[in-house]
Amino acid sequence: MRNLKLASLPMYLSLVVAAVYVLLPLLSAAEFSLRQPATHNYGLKHYIWFIELPDFAHYLILSLGLALGAAALVLVLLVPTAVWLNLGGHKLRGFIEFLTLLPLVIPVVALAIGAQTSLPEFAQTNEFVLSFIYAILALPYAYRTLDTGLKAVPLKTITEAARGLGAGWMRTILQVVTPVVRSTVLSALFMTLALSLGEFTLTSLLHWDTFTTWVTTMSQSNILGAIALSVFSLVAVFVLLMLIGLFVKPASNQVSMEEN
Amino acid sequence: MGSPLKLQGVTRKFKDTVALDSLDLEVAEGELVALLGPSGCGKTTALRIIAGLDRANSGQVWVNGVQIDKLPAHKRNMGMVFQSYSLFPNLNAQENVAFGLKMRGTSKSQRENRAQELLALVGLPDHAKRFTHQLSGGQQQRVALARALAFEPDVLLLDEPLSALDAKVRANLRDEIRSLQVKTGTTTIFVTHDQEEAMSMADRVAVMNGGKIAQIDAPDVLYHSPADQFVAGFVGQMNRIPAQVVKDKVRVLDSLVGIRSIHEFQRTDLVALVRPEALKVAAKASGNCRVVARSFLGPMSKLLLQTAEGVEFQAVLTSEQSANLHSGDAVQVSVKPGDYLVVPS
Repeated sequence: MRNLKLASLPMYLSLVVAAVYVLLPLLSAAEFSLRQPATHNYGLKHYIWFIELPDFAHYLILSLGLALGAAALVLVLLVPTAVWLNLGGHKLRGFIEFLTLLPLVIPVVALAIGAQTSLPEFAQTNEFVLSFIYAILALPYAYRTLDTGLKAVPLKTITEAARGLGAGWMRTILQVVTPVVRSTVLSALFMTLALSLGEFTLTSLLHWDTFTTWVTTMSQSNILGAIALSVFSLVAVFVLLMLIGLFVKPASNQVSMEEN
Repeated sequence: MGSPLKLQGVTRKFKDTVALDSLDLEVAEGELVALLGPSGCGKTTALRIIAGLDRANSGQVWVNGVQIDKLPAHKRNMGMVFQSYSLFPNLNAQENVAFGLKMRGTSKSQRENRAQELLALVGLPDHAKRFTHQLSGGQQQRVALARALAFEPDVLLLDEPLSALDAKVRANLRDEIRSLQVKTGTTTIFVTHDQEEAMSMADRVAVMNGGKIAQIDAPDVLYHSPADQFVAGFVGQMNRIPAQVVKDKVRVLDSLVGIRSIHEFQRTDLVALVRPEALKVAAKASGNCRVVARSFLGPMSKLLLQTAEGVEFQAVLTSEQSANLHSGDAVQVSVKPGDYLVVPS
């Protein structure tokens, strides 16, 4: 027993260090945002301040909408691609892997200029163009999440088994493939949502305003209010992702197939 | 009604390689035919073409007198068990077994009963609610077998279903599959590269080589009368012992025996193909061979022997017969009477 405890000591230690590293700035920010210098008390004044700002709801809803749009694009474009690559489209695998890495390699400024000059005019005048850009930025993470998850399930054998048992392609995809890859797909969407909700650089370079850029602008007029906003957006995104996480049950799939 | 399964001139090419070369095969009702051969011989390709998971370039597949090679996989009514575990991880064992019935529109209560019945048949009546990760490899393959049998397929296709399992589970499941197949009377094709598996389970074994069936026969016929050198070498142990043709006989190790078949008669450098158990060994100081090693295998023992010219070969004797033979001993080895294959060395 003693040995066991000793062995797990470094693990607990690193957990504590990680927790302090992540939580301390957060807690400090929260504490700071609750201060009320005039009365030397704690209160929700600064939170009430930004909630009452006329643009708060607008930008929050816009950012959520853009993030959902990006997630939808990943769902429609990337999921079928990744499934197909794992079913046997091996020839293009290398090329597509390279393609998904590009957003990490191309400087954001180049991406911004590229987007501005190459997109059709109607897309440039509509803020939902950002959903497309977020989807591109999320490619490296979403694709790798999908690919790793899909590799863990014997997709080809399962698909063939389903067809052999009398399921046509449609039923195979709906009743066999979808449930099996569900948690993997949700993880990829999770990534995309998180990344989209926090995206600042490209949005700002393209002169669009979303929740993140709005927070930055606001922070210049009310520093405590801005910190309250930051804490809010962190917690809000966290809660949102937790809610989505509830759907990603630790289902019976994705477990090691080798355990005998 | 025609035979349960018939393949006619099935050819499958992958770019430059010919995986199946005009394959013909006919399987009788309730028969278990094993497709045996080295990797790349086309056995799995043949199975996948029967299942509809791959398409032949030419040739026909018939099931019960109906041509099915144009039908998609899901309309063929074939039960298939794969080499790798293929259970649906999101369904429990019972739902897995019932899947084929669900696709055929069977009512819920009916398919639950049938699934339960089949799980009992494969010895897992208490595992209905277990998921893939709660089952061992052997149990997963049992469930896969139950799933393949649940909807009473026209033909059961087994693609090396035992090769991912460890030796003990493998031996048990081998017997279970065979008894289940006999019990249900399901016409079955069994693909394997393991000759012991094929020989012990099948009614007939088709030895495949280079996309063709080299020989298809009952296991004992295959063993005792291999059609050619490839089959002889692939099924069981086979010695190659130098031989000289003397009129219509052949001299092997001082014994004059019959010739079953001989290729390239005019050649002088010939070898006879002789099974280890077709040799007689007796201790003799002036004998024609020497014992190199003896390995004890329980009731039988294997002797590694060497001729004066240095040719090594094996003989299998009962342990009783070989008890007084030790390495280094001189022995007289002779070949039991019979007809043997003679091939160029």
